[in-house]
Amino acid sequence: MRTLVLGLGNEYAGDDAVGVLAVRALRGALAGMADVVESAASGLALIEVFTGYERAVIVDSIRTGRSPAGTIIEPGLGELGRATAPSLHQAGIPELAAVARRLGMGFPDRTRVLAVEVTGPLTFGAPVSEPVAAAVVPLGRRILDQVRLWASEDSGDGLPERPERGRQ
Amino acid sequence: MSREILIDPITRLEGHGRIHIFLDDGGGVDRAYLQVPELRGFEKFAQGRRAEDMPQITSRICGVCPMAHHMAAAKALDDLYQVDPPPAGRKIRELLYSAFMVEDHALHFFFLGGPDFIVGPDAPRQQRNILGVVDAVGLEVGKEVIGVRKQLRDLVAAVAGKAVHPVFGLPGGVSRSLSSDVRQQAAAAAARAIEFSQFALGAFRTIVLGNPGYVDLVTSEAYTHRTYYMGLVDAANKVTFYDGTLRVVGPSGKELLRFAGQDYLSHIAEHVEPWTYMKFCFLKDVGWNGFADGAGSGVYSVAPLARLNAADGMATPRAQEAYEEFVTTLGPKPVHHTLANHWARIIELMYAAERMAELAADPEITDPQVRTLPTAAPREGIGVVEAPRGTLFHHYQTDEHGLITAANMIVATQNNAARIALSVDKAAHALIRNGHVDDALLNQVEMAFRAYDPCFGCSTHSLPGHMPLIVDVRDPGGALLSEIRRD
Repeated sequence: MRTLVLGLGNEYAGDDAVGVLAVRALRGALAGMADVVESAASGLALIEVFTGYERAVIVDSIRTGRSPAGTIIEPGLGELGRATAPSLHQAGIPELAAVARRLGMGFPDRTRVLAVEVTGPLTFGAPVSEPVAAAVVPLGRRILDQVRLWASEDSGDGLPERPERGRQ
Repeated sequence: MSREILIDPITRLEGHGRIHIFLDDGGGVDRAYLQVPELRGFEKFAQGRRAEDMPQITSRICGVCPMAHHMAAAKALDDLYQVDPPPAGRKIRELLYSAFMVEDHALHFFFLGGPDFIVGPDAPRQQRNILGVVDAVGLEVGKEVIGVRKQLRDLVAAVAGKAVHPVFGLPGGVSRSLSSDVRQQAAAAAARAIEFSQFALGAFRTIVLGNPGYVDLVTSEAYTHRTYYMGLVDAANKVTFYDGTLRVVGPSGKELLRFAGQDYLSHIAEHVEPWTYMKFCFLKDVGWNGFADGAGSGVYSVAPLARLNAADGMATPRAQEAYEEFVTTLGPKPVHHTLANHWARIIELMYAAERMAELAADPEITDPQVRTLPTAAPREGIGVVEAPRGTLFHHYQTDEHGLITAANMIVATQNNAARIALSVDKAAHALIRNGHVDDALLNQVEMAFRAYDPCFGCSTHSLPGHMPLIVDVRDPGGALLSEIRRD
């Protein structure tokens, strides 16, 4: 069973970088358990990324306006809603999943979305804001926990090792 | 006091890509405009960076057309260091650029134009989406769109290092030569792309041209603006994507300008309105005379339809044949119907596929000499390409060490902004009466949008919210009268 850890975002545009930074920091820790992919691509351009994986963790920034900056949100694919925005650049993950499955390309059966609420300006060259930067470590822990859980299922060990607190 | 209607494709980057429609006290439309997202701060961000890093950095600006930025940047570096790539270097660049155009145009014709033409403008809203297109064209065609695309991306990855964010453009050429194996891979991908383009043109003929209702829609006044058009052309005035001279034709089809990309500042200026941070490009030679079409207004358009209008034809045989059918059906040129962009797009799709095949068949492309080393001191460089959505300019100034002191970019959607504003305004004026706004407005605005395919890709990529479109109608006091949501 193959696992994808996908970090989305523009690393040059302030808080938008959070998804990319979070997965980049985990490259070593995830080696052998998951493939780590960073991407600034959008919409349908991402459709091939998921091919060949049974499981995926998608890490991104989100702006709901309902939580303080740095809050980690876990929207289900269904919760993200269906996008029929006038431009397909805004096709979202649920649409990608639907199209990929319909075309028989395969899409991970198990997908977990981890998104960090951002509020700062997404200006070119802006730094990642403090509250969003502070979310990188707990975000990484969640990604790691999830991937380890899936890996333990593969190896048939039952419950995974409990992640050690205070360690990345 | 005026009322405001807001149509807002909400992504996680709220506040971007909004349509504002202001009503007057009588419930009629005062003015309407599109606020195009703008990733601010690029100019400052670029300062002090090494010029040769720009192809990599700028390919991450846009999640939709990284290759276009990569290539415009590489060409700007050629200009900066006053160095021409050797023939093989130039041809490898154009091969990959053509592959990228095929990939982008194929995807967008089916999945973007599809909801309007393949599924149909009158189809129930639930079917007017990507899945509806897949159902309408059949699984095999849907798979072929993805299959062609995958083959092209594999080619790009083999030549440029990475499929999404290429790392091969350098001042004076490319980073590695093309092996004969990869050349064969390119030839195979091109052959498949030509076959697919033939199919797309056939499908368009059957589905759209075979339906008088669709033809009426394409040629209707609601989607017609008589503006100037701009695009790159070769020496014979044929459409070209990678390199050429910029040509501008007027609403009557008469050539107004021919200029090198390096002279863009002499011909293109930006108009600022107090009600938006957005800048509207216009032709200096004509002048800014408000949001109007006609020969007296400097408003111009870019993208597939504009390119076909600005040129006298296509440089490859099958594309030329398709172009002639296009002109016979919708002409005389220039064709002013915005929705004709969808047809123009697949004519360009064929051109890009045929151009790939030509380049892959050229023995010179495997020549190991792919780079001319720069020796001149850098100062200023300008690079221009035709991106899928229109002309893209990169402009850098550096110190003597090649560190950027100033940078400017004009992306396709900025070039098109004023004409898009005309379309939004026209839809609003035609469909809003006595303050009554309904779904028909959304449909018309959406269809115009899809034809231009304005790029909201500069940093938006995923996780959209629940309500991609909202129309908000407020009374003069600001109270909400009604709201239309599309999700």
